Amino acid sequence: MSLLDVDGVTHRYGPETDDRPVLDAVDLHLDDRDIVAVVGESGCGKTTLGRLAVGLARPVDGQIRFDGRDVWSLRGRDRLGYRRAVQLVQQDPYASLNPGLTIENTLGDALLYHRLVTRRQLPAKLVELLADVGLDATPEFLRRFPHQLSGGQRQRVAIARAMSLQPRLVVADEATSMLDVSMRVSILDLLLSFRRERSLAYLFISHDFGVVRYFAQGGRVIVMFYGVVVEAGPTEQVIRQPRHPYTYLLLQAIPVPDPAAARRRAAVDTDARTEAPPARTGCVFSNRCPWADERCRQTAPPTIEIAPGHTTACWRPEQIPTETVTVRRGAPDVA
Amino acid sequence: MSDAPPLLEVRDLTVAFGDGNRAIRAVEGVSLTVQAGEIHALVGESGCGKSTLAYALLDVIPPPGRVIHGDVRFRGRSYGQMGKTELRTLRAAGVAMVFQAAMNSFNPVVTIGHQVEHTLEAHPRVFPSVAAGRAYFEELLQRLRLPPERIWNAFESQLSGGMKQRAAIALALLLKPAVLVLDEPTTALDVLNQRLVIDILKELHASLGVTIVFVTHDLAVVAELAQSVAVMYAGRMVEAGRVDDIFGRGRRHPYVAALLEAIPSLLDDGLQVHPIPGQVPDLAHLPTGCRFAPRCPLARQICREVEPIGQSDAWGHEVACHVVNEELLPSGGPT
Repeated sequence: MSLLDVDGVTHRYGPETDDRPVLDAVDLHLDDRDIVAVVGESGCGKTTLGRLAVGLARPVDGQIRFDGRDVWSLRGRDRLGYRRAVQLVQQDPYASLNPGLTIENTLGDALLYHRLVTRRQLPAKLVELLADVGLDATPEFLRRFPHQLSGGQRQRVAIARAMSLQPRLVVADEATSMLDVSMRVSILDLLLSFRRERSLAYLFISHDFGVVRYFAQGGRVIVMFYGVVVEAGPTEQVIRQPRHPYTYLLLQAIPVPDPAAARRRAAVDTDARTEAPPARTGCVFSNRCPWADERCRQTAPPTIEIAPGHTTACWRPEQIPTETVTVRRGAPDVA
Repeated sequence: MSDAPPLLEVRDLTVAFGDGNRAIRAVEGVSLTVQAGEIHALVGESGCGKSTLAYALLDVIPPPGRVIHGDVRFRGRSYGQMGKTELRTLRAAGVAMVFQAAMNSFNPVVTIGHQVEHTLEAHPRVFPSVAAGRAYFEELLQRLRLPPERIWNAFESQLSGGMKQRAAIALALLLKPAVLVLDEPTTALDVLNQRLVIDILKELHASLGVTIVFVTHDLAVVAELAQSVAVMYAGRMVEAGRVDDIFGRGRRHPYVAALLEAIPSLLDDGLQVHPIPGQVPDLAHLPTGCRFAPRCPLARQICREVEPIGQSDAWGHEVACHVVNEELLPSGGPT
């Protein structure tokens, strides 16, 4: 029994007649202490998947189970327990904190609601929480409002709020993408330190493969294209040897902080990136795929296991160039 | 080669917000030269002054900010000497800007085409007729890989974020400016749109010969796009030079070195990252001496007492650091 099972989940926001669902028969399984990263472009359904995992929306089809139980069948104390055990850290710390609440109220209300502390214990607990996330652990800090904090400090408050309830699963939705580069690694390290100290799993949503590679080391990554999981596997393996054309093109698109490596990559680039919409028949990616043939346009490929734990939904994975996609630094410019 | 003045020159510029002793200097003593035909990056974190510097390039610093020292020159002519009419022409056909979050810079209640017509009517001398201007705009849209007819008739709400960003770039290029300034052109975009904007800016630079100055916090985008780089920290310029010198193995400001080590990437060593300790200083409470000294692993006594000034090596690579510049001393001292 997994911690979280997403089984054949389909979701759409509009009426049934709308063309494509936002999520189309998505499967995902997380065990205790797992890290699974979800990668894809804007609009691919990553955020919706996160919202469904924390119970903010009910899927139109399929089932989401937590500890083996359908989360939408839970009532009363069980439902409360699930809501406590699964927490969300959102992208924008300027929008996710209530500007009218002090940090004390931001952090304290949920603790009181779930009866994890008494009112008398609360002040000490809050200061402890601030220390846990590397913030100034003083009563003065608790009296501040979000607008008095920097972006990095706000995101630490949002993380403290999620961690305060001792969750078993945290959904981190682009949790570092709004932060300055120098702050990013320290926030990622903070999240990872919570996992080391507690039994905690992460569903980590990001469009940045560089960040995913760091955060989900030893974990897994799933790549989504318009609601369909096109590839899934161990993080470093998917990054080094992508077995779906979409993953390959995403990796090729990512800028690297080394001018010589960037020039070398630009020279081999296939210019196959387009903004073509998802295909209505056949493989969902066939409109954009540089290797798509007639079969791809007619029939959607099944998901196949191409290596242990590494799956792809592609008819022709052998077409993808096999040279490693991680990039050598510097190196001569000669071709 | 001639002795013609550089296209754009910033001389010892200081921009202050507020009055007297409490004034905050968002940019202090910054000098910068942009040669015609370059792609120049201004790099730094939130609050380092890079956007304020970009605004100064158009003389559009938002009040209460004002230039209290130094000046900016376009083709050798100081903005301080220009009258209203000349400045208006400068901002239209000399230096054009695409503001941060440019996707929000269109008027939502008129079509894009209407806004282009407004611009053409306000600056009638660039094209013989509005129709000629429209034809040029549609050519620009094609270069930006946008469908001209659809964009012309669209309201901004009918376009995706990536399309709006590119339409804003087309509008900025409409009056054939010599310099295009872009504030965080790739920041709010996902990986694929980011790649598209990088590739398109390179193409526009090659085909139109336009000089590009862009502001970013992302060193990977700098490595992919820029030819020259200036790095800012807490209002000061700490390093400037050619992109290969900045990313190369030679002299490097400790802040830039730390930034480069803080980016998880797809490079072969992209997992060996280290966060930068501490925080960017509050501009209202700057440390004495070097502004990076409190976070710097190389800091010595002199760094905490005297603010370093930028010194160039024989290749024009400028670094403002006591420790790094020591190596220049034996060979004849500062230039």
